[in-house]
Amino acid sequence: MKPVRLQRRSLLRGAAGVAVGLPLLECMLPARSAAQTQSAPKRYAIVFAGQALGGDEYAKDEQRVNGESLTQAGHHIVPMQEGEGYDLTTPLRPMAALRQDFSLISGLRIPYSTTSTEPTEVPPGGAFRDFHGGGASPLLCGVRSTSSNFAAAGISSDQAVAQLHAGETALSSLVLRAQPSFYLSGYSFSGRHRISYRGKNDPIEAQDSPRTAYMSLFAGFTPSQGSEQALLAWNLRARRSVLDLITQKRQRLMSVLGAADRARIGKHFDEIRALEQRLAQVPEMSSDTCKVPKDPGADPAVGGDNAGATSSEIATNTGYSGEHERARFMLDLVHMAFVCDLTRVATLQITAFQSHMNTHAISQHFDSPIALKRPLQADLHEVGHNGDAEFRGQLPVSLCLQWHISHYAYLLDKLKSTPEGAGNLLDNSAIVFMPEAGHGRHLNTPSDTAPRTHSVEEMILLVAGRAGGLKPGRHIATGGAHPVQCLLGCMQAVGYGQDQLGEVQGALAALRT
Amino acid sequence: MRVGQLTRGWLLILLCSACSGVISQPQPGAAKLAAADGGSAPLPAARDAGAPRAVTSLSRRLSRAELDHSLADLFGDTTAPATRLLPEDSYSPYDNDVDTQLASSAFVDSLSALARDVAERAAGNADLLPCVPKNPKDAECFRQVVTRLVPRALRRPVTDAELAPYLDLLELANAPEQTARPGFEMALSLLIQALVLDPEFLYRVEAAGTRTLSDYEIATRMAYLLWGTTPDQALFADALARRLVPVAERKKVFERMWQDPRTRQQIARFHALWLGYRAIPHDAALAASFARETSALLERVIFDDATSYLDVFKADETYVDKTLAEHYGLPAPDKDAAWVRYPSESKRAGILSHGSVLSAFSKFSDTSPTQRGIFVRTRLMCQPIPPPPPTVAADKPPAGTNAAVCKVDRYSQHRSDSACASCHALTDAIGFGLERFDNAGRYRTHDEGHNECAISGEGEIAGVGKFAGPQELAELLLDNDSIAPCVVEQLAQFALGRAPLANSDDAALLAELREAFAKHDHSFAALIEAFVLSDAFARHTEQP
Repeated sequence: MKPVRLQRRSLLRGAAGVAVGLPLLECMLPARSAAQTQSAPKRYAIVFAGQALGGDEYAKDEQRVNGESLTQAGHHIVPMQEGEGYDLTTPLRPMAALRQDFSLISGLRIPYSTTSTEPTEVPPGGAFRDFHGGGASPLLCGVRSTSSNFAAAGISSDQAVAQLHAGETALSSLVLRAQPSFYLSGYSFSGRHRISYRGKNDPIEAQDSPRTAYMSLFAGFTPSQGSEQALLAWNLRARRSVLDLITQKRQRLMSVLGAADRARIGKHFDEIRALEQRLAQVPEMSSDTCKVPKDPGADPAVGGDNAGATSSEIATNTGYSGEHERARFMLDLVHMAFVCDLTRVATLQITAFQSHMNTHAISQHFDSPIALKRPLQADLHEVGHNGDAEFRGQLPVSLCLQWHISHYAYLLDKLKSTPEGAGNLLDNSAIVFMPEAGHGRHLNTPSDTAPRTHSVEEMILLVAGRAGGLKPGRHIATGGAHPVQCLLGCMQAVGYGQDQLGEVQGALAALRT
Repeated sequence: MRVGQLTRGWLLILLCSACSGVISQPQPGAAKLAAADGGSAPLPAARDAGAPRAVTSLSRRLSRAELDHSLADLFGDTTAPATRLLPEDSYSPYDNDVDTQLASSAFVDSLSALARDVAERAAGNADLLPCVPKNPKDAECFRQVVTRLVPRALRRPVTDAELAPYLDLLELANAPEQTARPGFEMALSLLIQALVLDPEFLYRVEAAGTRTLSDYEIATRMAYLLWGTTPDQALFADALARRLVPVAERKKVFERMWQDPRTRQQIARFHALWLGYRAIPHDAALAASFARETSALLERVIFDDATSYLDVFKADETYVDKTLAEHYGLPAPDKDAAWVRYPSESKRAGILSHGSVLSAFSKFSDTSPTQRGIFVRTRLMCQPIPPPPPTVAADKPPAGTNAAVCKVDRYSQHRSDSACASCHALTDAIGFGLERFDNAGRYRTHDEGHNECAISGEGEIAGVGKFAGPQELAELLLDNDSIAPCVVEQLAQFALGRAPLANSDDAALLAELREAFAKHDHSFAALIEAFVLSDAFARHTEQP
């Protein structure tokens, strides 16, 4: 289906604005403060992968492939060389054409107590000594965790940036997740499915339906003329009338409820009203590159539960819901939401923390330097724990990481291909790729020195874009910086005025020097 | 942290903890609390002594399954739209835990998509109309539609003043610029959207106060408990005639509802959630065979023969087709599918021998003795298991060394490490008693791929007794009187949409239900009837 050139709803209301076949020019930028009119809006996004960087107890150059043990370097994501001109490692293969547009930040580490597992002994910005949950809060928001729960104890970096733009865009942020199911029968995500928080224990639920995300973002866009335009205007009016009919019931219903129910049902009414307001908003026209993406159609079916590991029963539709297509489409939405200035902040959690997504189906996308005889047969979490007996260690983990990075590359490529101002959209962005874990000492048992997937040491982030003077194109080895220091550097590049997030201070200066 | 909040991940494979090694018998009403509470302190009362009992109730949101059933009954939509379009419910293990049902922007966006999806299809469904519209603006016919659909969707009578705003939708739908579909159909579409998005439809709203429910509120509780869906017209008529508050008349309504096929489906759903096999990792044909086998047993014991519920765990026959008989190594049925008697040496009996149950709680492409032990402790004995301490890398199976290839030797790490031993003594030995049954319920004598690793099949429930295989395990649990009190607690959690609370009213309700269950020779129908006819079922309170 061909993308439809669109006009915004503003046109329907007779507001000024014409579609012009030119890239974004200064005169078209929305009038804000004098300082801001000089530049395009800054965008910030985090693409999250629920996996670590290596195979449990396997060295960075050790793997078992096609049933044979093999020592071979170049598969772990961190290259040997620093600075520019490093050798592109296996997980970074999808980034070959984007080398000058991103930096790899390595050697990141979340602090923790090596001597105590007590919650009171967790250092500021540190991890509670239980992976996976203990690593989540410090990674997302720079506030120490004091239990193994997957709950951030502060505002996450994306939301701290979103607050800067409150009221300026139709959506303060776009929060998406590609993996729609936890896949283990009898258990639930229990917080593993969240990376965006407004504040302590105040998560933002991600939209996991590509179709619904599409409709929410773009159903209000209208063609420029004809009866269809009038119909869509009516549609909007009708939807608001329906929502209004419901919100009118609020007072009567609330008056009969007990306190706990008033809070619960009140929250529901609040969200209905917020939806009504979103429909009423008239986003400003941004540029001619703003187009309605093609309709994704029905969501891919949600796959059944996962047996795990090397089970012969792992079939392609078990424990897999088309995450590949879901992630791609959601990134189309992020891209176009940025182009159209519907929002300036987005997160996509491709896979949940401790993801049990089946890797069988994503194997077809692997770009492996070694010919593989069959698909990887394990769930993503087990891959780190060497779940496939004949395909374990560094390479399979790196190929799964590569799959996640391929989505990141897809977004970057789209941003880079979109002209904006004198350059492109990526120039006005800071886009982060964030894996869940590193490959160092085990958080639970740091006395054990073999490299582990359950580690908050030797973590990495990828940072792409040139917003605020970011200087991409390098491998920056930090020797133990906190991941949030890297995030702070990105946040400042997109306008965040503080040098602290949660309990972590001091942006990583190397991003800009 | 509640056990139910933990994920399997691999989190529970080691259970090392400051665990006493002793788990007490279930404490009525307190079993979901930390073991440290012990249940010895007097429970706080939530009401005046002597008043009829009421237990805490919050406005419960319909689960995806309940929504799908309700939308099918109200609007004829059989496409499972809620399961397609709403985010996954949390499983606690039940899909209706009120504490997890919080509205969010993403949820309301999805709900809005659901409303439009359902309305789009239903607007063309002439069966929903009590009249034939004379023209697209037929206000009288639309009034009849509104008068019929709104009370049914909101599950209560609705005043004319409340209906008025819905009537205005007809004019909106007939606006000249609305060219998508005929005006009357569009008005029906808008009406359905307004109902699907209405908190009174989406939540089972009950007015405040410690009080007896209205007949309509009781009808709603009965319909969602027994059928997992909205009241049908007969039940609505019972409510209108006030037949649900009086216990004797409620009993007659219950008996009618019990005969409805939807009750069978609902009981099957409860078991799938409780025993963890709602979705199992096998191909569709095998999973369907398992489902048929387990449903047949449940229906035979609970409905058709209406014998003691404990027969679910004792049955010496199972309902298999030829493929499934071959899968299990049982004699082939003499027709397409039939009841086949377990050979006496098979060690099989009842639901614990079914592939459905034996598929659940497995991992690493194999069974997990620890997980199966946790299953028996938490789901069949209602005993909490403490989580592993943070010092333990609990989400990996014991790795094994060159010296320890066989599973039983690898798991010996759990026994030799004193930090682990006290809790794993509670779980692993149970799982090893089921080891001769793989994660698809097939019989085996050796570890997968290791002929040198013979499986003894011997197991033990610490403090209870030794057993080998599902038949002896069931016998042990039944002799120990574990299953009957536990299933009452599990059913209560499912029925109340929350774990039992540590107050005297919840405790007394559980005691009352256990007594009724035992008194009626463990008739499952009698257990549910006792709940439906109890004071607590017909009363509301918010007091904790």
